[in-house]
Amino acid sequence: MMTRRDALRTLGSGFGMAGFAGVAAGSDQPLEPKAPHFAPKAKHVIYLFLNGGPSQVDTFDPKPMLTKYHGQPAPSGNLKTERKTGALLKSPFEFKPGGKSGVPISDIFPKLRDRADDLCVIRSMYTERPNHEPSLFMLNCGHVLPGHPSMGSWLTYGLGSFNQNLPGFVVLCPGVPVIGPQLWTSAYLPSIYQGTYLPNNEKEPERLIQHLRNRHLGADEQRRQLDLLAKLNRLHLAREGSDPQLEGRIQQMEIAYRMQTEAMDALDVSKEPEKVRARYGEGDFARGCLIARRLVERGVRMVQVYYGNGQPWDNHDDILIHRKLAGTADAPMAALLEDLKASGLLDETVVMIGGEFGRTPSVEVSGLVRVQNGRDHNNHGFSMLLAGGGVKGGTTYGATDEFGFKAVENRVHPHDVHATVLHLLGLEHTKLTYRYSGRDFRLTDVAGNVVKGVLA
Amino acid sequence: MYRCLPFLSYALFPALAAAADPVEFFEMKVRPVLAKHCYSCHTATHMGGLTVDSREALLKGGGRGPAIAPGKSAESLLMTAVRHADPKLKMPPSGKLSESEIADLASWIDGGAAWGKAAPAAKAGSKYTITEEQRHWWAFQPVRKPEPPRVKNERWISTPIDRFVLAALERERLKPNAAASKRDLIRRVYYDLIGLPPAAADIEKFEADKSSEALAKVVDELLASPAYGERWGRYWLDVARYSDDKLNSTQDEPYANAWRYRDWVIGAFNDDMPYDLFLKAQIAGDQIEHPDKAKLVAGLGFYALSPQFQDDRVDATTRGVMGITVACAQCHDHKFDPIPTKDYYALLGVFTSTELGEFPLAPADVVERYKQSKKGIEDQRKEIDEFLDRQANDLAEILAAQTARFIESVRKGEAAPGLDGETYERWKKYLTGAKREHPFLDDWDKDSFSPAQFQETVIALNREKKEIDKQNMIRLGGSEVRRDLANADLLSLARDRYFLWRDLFGAGRFEKFDSGVLYHKPERLERFLSGAWKQHLIELRAELDRRTKAMPDPYPYYHTIQDVKDPKNTRIQIRGSRDNLGDEAPRAFLSVFAKGDPEPFRKGSGRLELAEAIGNRENPLTARVWANRVWGYHFGKPLVATPSNFGQLGERPTHPELLDYLAARLMEQNWSMKALHREIVLSTAYRLSAATDESNFARDPDNRYLWRANRRRLDIEPLRDTLLQVSGQLDRTVGGAPVKLTNSSNRRRSVYGFVSRRKLDGTLSLFDFPNPNSMSEQRIETATPLQQLYFLNSGFVEDRAIALACRVEGSAFDTAGRIRAAYRMVYGRAPSKEEIALGEEYVSRGDDPWVRYAQVLLSSNELLFVD
Repeated sequence: MMTRRDALRTLGSGFGMAGFAGVAAGSDQPLEPKAPHFAPKAKHVIYLFLNGGPSQVDTFDPKPMLTKYHGQPAPSGNLKTERKTGALLKSPFEFKPGGKSGVPISDIFPKLRDRADDLCVIRSMYTERPNHEPSLFMLNCGHVLPGHPSMGSWLTYGLGSFNQNLPGFVVLCPGVPVIGPQLWTSAYLPSIYQGTYLPNNEKEPERLIQHLRNRHLGADEQRRQLDLLAKLNRLHLAREGSDPQLEGRIQQMEIAYRMQTEAMDALDVSKEPEKVRARYGEGDFARGCLIARRLVERGVRMVQVYYGNGQPWDNHDDILIHRKLAGTADAPMAALLEDLKASGLLDETVVMIGGEFGRTPSVEVSGLVRVQNGRDHNNHGFSMLLAGGGVKGGTTYGATDEFGFKAVENRVHPHDVHATVLHLLGLEHTKLTYRYSGRDFRLTDVAGNVVKGVLA
Repeated sequence: MYRCLPFLSYALFPALAAAADPVEFFEMKVRPVLAKHCYSCHTATHMGGLTVDSREALLKGGGRGPAIAPGKSAESLLMTAVRHADPKLKMPPSGKLSESEIADLASWIDGGAAWGKAAPAAKAGSKYTITEEQRHWWAFQPVRKPEPPRVKNERWISTPIDRFVLAALERERLKPNAAASKRDLIRRVYYDLIGLPPAAADIEKFEADKSSEALAKVVDELLASPAYGERWGRYWLDVARYSDDKLNSTQDEPYANAWRYRDWVIGAFNDDMPYDLFLKAQIAGDQIEHPDKAKLVAGLGFYALSPQFQDDRVDATTRGVMGITVACAQCHDHKFDPIPTKDYYALLGVFTSTELGEFPLAPADVVERYKQSKKGIEDQRKEIDEFLDRQANDLAEILAAQTARFIESVRKGEAAPGLDGETYERWKKYLTGAKREHPFLDDWDKDSFSPAQFQETVIALNREKKEIDKQNMIRLGGSEVRRDLANADLLSLARDRYFLWRDLFGAGRFEKFDSGVLYHKPERLERFLSGAWKQHLIELRAELDRRTKAMPDPYPYYHTIQDVKDPKNTRIQIRGSRDNLGDEAPRAFLSVFAKGDPEPFRKGSGRLELAEAIGNRENPLTARVWANRVWGYHFGKPLVATPSNFGQLGERPTHPELLDYLAARLMEQNWSMKALHREIVLSTAYRLSAATDESNFARDPDNRYLWRANRRRLDIEPLRDTLLQVSGQLDRTVGGAPVKLTNSSNRRRSVYGFVSRRKLDGTLSLFDFPNPNSMSEQRIETATPLQQLYFLNSGFVEDRAIALACRVEGSAFDTAGRIRAAYRMVYGRAPSKEEIALGEEYVSRGDDPWVRYAQVLLSSNELLFVD
């Protein structure tokens, strides 16, 4: 399913056709683009992960009844969450319709709201557990327990990537989210499909990727070294007889050599015009979104950007902190969508925005909070945003109950989101399997349905 | 949790198109809906007389008549119920199904209501029977030592193993390669047995030794070397999912003594501990009767250091040791292998009847002294903290009573006489500084604002907070345990009032802000103390100091498990749900090995009985699984390609008789691993060259029948160790605490590096080191450009290149001489003329040419691959 542009991109940055065929035959290039199951709507995924659990009723799911019944107990009682919650707590933020479609988004995301026509807000998400770890595993790896491959690993396993000079699945986080690398593990898939983690609090490209730059050698000097290495390896190969493993590594050395330049260039956001950087704004998340765009432009299959170290959106105490967090998330998300749209890349990129669960419409009153102005975890209902290739923009899908506690209409499980994203990328989720430990595993476990209602 | 796919249906109907196949459609769309929404009331409990777990049951229906009419969804009662068409019959009671689910049910009925034949979920009271057919599965047959077959080419035979291999080759009309060169062979056997390359002198000695015993001598030497355990112990640690820390979700949490288990494993290999005892020690080392019992207890680290997920211990025990996927039976009876759900919970009960413990490696009085000292220090710290906190709170109250004067002073721009200067500065900063999160001081500099009134508010606020704290303590029953806190309905200040309180009185311990304006932290508090108070603090601290100095070093111990006082069976969790419990599963071994119901374990948790059942000659799996792994590490490919799955969905052995022969020999030689290695590596089959051959390749491209040796990329441990070794820097110290591989002064063998479950070392994960969060079936070899960046740019390779260059430059004066020396060090051979010429040309210019040259040699295919 490679378009001419893809082919050029691969070959232009890769090696000649003969070498290409030889290596592919030896299956030493597990990241070569592979044909999807059917014609895809999109080719890339950017997953902006607002880790900690952003509150749906303060962001993308307006609830007038919550305002009306503020301070009163929920008539049907509170659902069981991690901690004790009390009366209903109205959102301190106002919602306004955005774009031509009028999809309402709260005041803390004014710029993202202007892009509402690109967004499909799924308001009826739910997961099994009100705890960070299992829900993080579910959203990322499709299981509540560790030991399963991340979505990006499945995608690169199933589809490869378009640029052999860059990793196929890149994960950015300033620091690490709760749980950490297990969220982008390839688990039982070959480790080439593991997410390559880049700490985007680092500003220098060479500090972002392991061994990207030689501290002492100039490019010419290194070229000489590689030329010698290639000659010695060829002599070795001549002695041993043809072998795809040995030939493959000779070619990979060349790719690695080019990757130094290519990755350095992709990760260097200072190459963006001042005006562009200004639109993304300051901060790690802004840098992460900008790098994500630059990577996808260069053919990387999936980029995931975590909002911050630990779990910043976990505002048990005081929901007003959401305003501050949104302050550094709004501009980068909007700018990313705008740039992708302008370049046409939005048509072939699925952008996902969301956290591991939502928050309760009722106020948290457990003794662990000091200000009773926050919300507990809520796995029963929360929102997630999709945008881009094949997604029906300017719409909402599903609904929570009148207070925003529980998803009641067109409920969507993370399995369904995974099935849908895979579908957009041309993969039938039940067929993307890997045999391990005596059975076929897949991202969606034994569940998952493509959510037709969000498709364009 | 393992939830197994309905893979039967995949196997039968690979080309799934929506509703193309009725059974497939049922499995994908209908059964999940029935299972999720209906089974809880309409299976064993058959509410309303209806059960829905078979087609027959639905046709029979319940009190209202048949539930379905195949082909006629409109007339089916089931549809009436799920469509909520009849107000008296709305199902399921938990809420209406989605439209798509309803539509799926309708089209399933209209299509004839086909039913899949996959196994139903475990039911309370259902009886699982193992069929004769299942019992006859190859892997469950007793291991018998087969007669080595006859072959045409008798001259090829060195050991009985060769008969099995050659018979297969002859049958498949494949011609085995000639023997590898002696150089290739000694390099192969070195990496295989000790994970390090031979030195040039070793190679030369071997090449010069023309006796028929030449290889046997080398093999015996290697097996006697401590490096053997460092290589083979690591293979076991893959199975044991060994880690030096826990998977803590927010911070590093290393084990104090995990490495003692790692060293025990290495030592067990070096001592050639019988494999059955090796296993038994890890399962029940504390309960085995053995003269040197203390030595076996360390093996319990296999479970004591395991990842803390419910199915891990069952999984590592069954899949890792016996190649049987019992964890697949967690939610339902195994769909292919004879493993009822009961078996999973029977074994789980063994492990839930144990608890973590420690086996101190110090006398009881030393242990006791350490524990006492530690507690003494903690108590003293607490005492000091509480004293200071009390003083800080008292002081804050005193300062609060001066609030009005402070604010007036700030308005005037000068502290009134008698006010504390530092507190004045804090007030000034607070009043004139960044935005506050409450409105109380919005107008502090206006005439309308009354400092005196505000002072009253502050004092009242502090009183209110104290009262709330007191009330909350009562509500919590006097305990501030986290769980109680999370679930308790506690009082709190209103938001704005809380922020004012925090900004003035807060100690700043719980939140990321500086302490309140009035709260002076310990280091700032002391200048306020005098007289008896000051003296008291000095004495408290002196005591802490004394206790800290007297604190003994932590005593060493093994991480162990032990039986709980009151071992209990677990109950079956129906469909893996903790909220849906079925029958109790008596602790016992696997059903397939018993005639009727397995005999329940009677001794404590049952670990000893479990150990005896596994480390047992009658167990057909244990020896086969290990023999298969050993063969796989030697040949680069095991006989059963799925070493942790000998079940129906695993691969069949390429050489079933050979596998049995190896398993039988392992047991026959008292489970000696070294004897097994010896027999394997002295075979002709092991000594073949890795060269390719067109006609063989055409017939057997995957080398299933072993017509040649498999060329292999070095695993990360031998790779890193080799780079250190050839640059003359490998530190061969044996055992001890782990050091991170990122530490540039760590020049020890990689097996001694820190292994993290939380964040695996970058170099390890770059080169396919297994994830220590679960049992690893086998190593995989990937080859990626990122790996090549390691050779091009990593500080580690660069440091080795510098060291190698120093060795090379010191070895000779002339360039050609140095190049020869370099080849000898790195590859153990002389360079060809062409190689010398290339080297001479290269080092003739540029900066540090020998370092750059050395780096090239270290990055070559010749170093990375073993023939």
